[in-house]
Amino acid sequence: MAWPTDITASDNGRRLEVVYDDGVAVQLSAERLRVESPSAEVQGHSPSQRKIVTGKENVRIVGIEPVGHYAIKIVFDDGHDSGLYTWDYLRELAAS
Amino acid sequence: MVTQEDVMRALGSVPGPDGKTPLPESGAVSGVTVRDAKVFAAIAIDPAQAKAMEPMRARAEAAIKGLAGVQSAVVTLTAEAARKIGEAPAGGNGAHSHAKGAAPGARAATELPGVRHIVAVASGKGGVGKSTVACNLAVGLAKLGLKVGLLDADLYGPSAPKLFGITEKPDMAEDGQKLEPMVSAGVKVMSIGFLVEEGAPIIWRGPMVMSALTQLLREVAWGELDVLVVDMPPGTGDTQLTMAQNVPLAGAVIVSTPQDLALIDARRGIAMFNQVHVPLLGIVENMSYFVCPHCGGRTDIFSHAGAQREAEQLKVPFLGEIPLDAAIRANSDEGRPVVDSMPGSPQAEAYLRIARAVAETLSAGATTAKPAPRIRLV
Repeated sequence: MAWPTDITASDNGRRLEVVYDDGVAVQLSAERLRVESPSAEVQGHSPSQRKIVTGKENVRIVGIEPVGHYAIKIVFDDGHDSGLYTWDYLRELAAS
Repeated sequence: MVTQEDVMRALGSVPGPDGKTPLPESGAVSGVTVRDAKVFAAIAIDPAQAKAMEPMRARAEAAIKGLAGVQSAVVTLTAEAARKIGEAPAGGNGAHSHAKGAAPGARAATELPGVRHIVAVASGKGGVGKSTVACNLAVGLAKLGLKVGLLDADLYGPSAPKLFGITEKPDMAEDGQKLEPMVSAGVKVMSIGFLVEEGAPIIWRGPMVMSALTQLLREVAWGELDVLVVDMPPGTGDTQLTMAQNVPLAGAVIVSTPQDLALIDARRGIAMFNQVHVPLLGIVENMSYFVCPHCGGRTDIFSHAGAQREAEQLKVPFLGEIPLDAAIRANSDEGRPVVDSMPGSPQAEAYLRIARAVAETLSAGATTAKPAPRIRLV
């Protein structure tokens, strides 16, 4: 599976770029990451509980913390910090 | 009725942290509480001197106990945060200071300084001899010349004290901040079992377990280690997740008995590590067979080679088999790991083979563990 080598938040925390070791680089907006957060606060515990998050056009990434070997935790300036973004999830998100 | 003033008067006979000024005048007494006939007092000290201050604490306790009408007295030492403003938080864990101004391109802050490889020994199911394998694997790695530590992460059922025959309690390290691990059979060992009475249950909910585990991992003076073996509790619960999330594990060794019932759970354990991208170093088949000491006949009590088949199916290395053996059991119960107490025996050799395989995989860097990505905020 593709493994990330570089994860960079830029544009004052509004964009996230992930470079994988197979040469693929994906770009994601902070807004997209926020509204698609894998956190149960957003996804609920089943598809029917999923919440639609709106009004996050200007959300910014203020922190990124590594989680073990498989994911990052992204901290947003609206206080949301419970989403763990796995390497696969980041890639899928960019592809969809 | 004892009053705060009585307590302070009693403490007047005890020299404070500087060894001269009586405690009440030293300003170090940070709190006195009297409830019924029970007295609680706190003395603030420099954490670096925790060990040297113990006699003072004991004297203060004795002085209060000596008061008429006092039933019990507890004096505790508290460390005032001596941190200077602008200084990084203790431990320098960058995880909280990364926002801006963190070193650009800093690698994962989850690593344990000084520890090269962290290896988890896990099983899906209890009772398969995981702790015995973890213990002997650690001793085996030490025999190969590596600097080895063992962290007993099974907080609800710690077995390292028994397996390593350690009954003493760990000391405070020089810096007064960390615990010094115990040493047995060439392995530095830390377990919650050193800190509670044998037989006393740990009745904690998940979050308590997680923070205790993090402390056992990070607030122990491990020093330089080539390998830290972590004896995981059975199953796929909180502890396993905490470990997977808080430290970059170099890999996991799965222990299983050969019977199908155990293998089902072993598969679960493997799936969990796969999910969090912890590479599998291999599977150990424990209680693989029994050789009768009387007739020499061999019985495959839990069937045989089930773990090996499983390893082949899952394309995971098979690390070896350990027989069900009375000597291993007896030595383990006596706190003498067979690798150390019966060198050259077939039992010790069986563990050493596994240790060699693990050491080779680690030194070849052949664990599929890839470096953590560089994380930057620009």
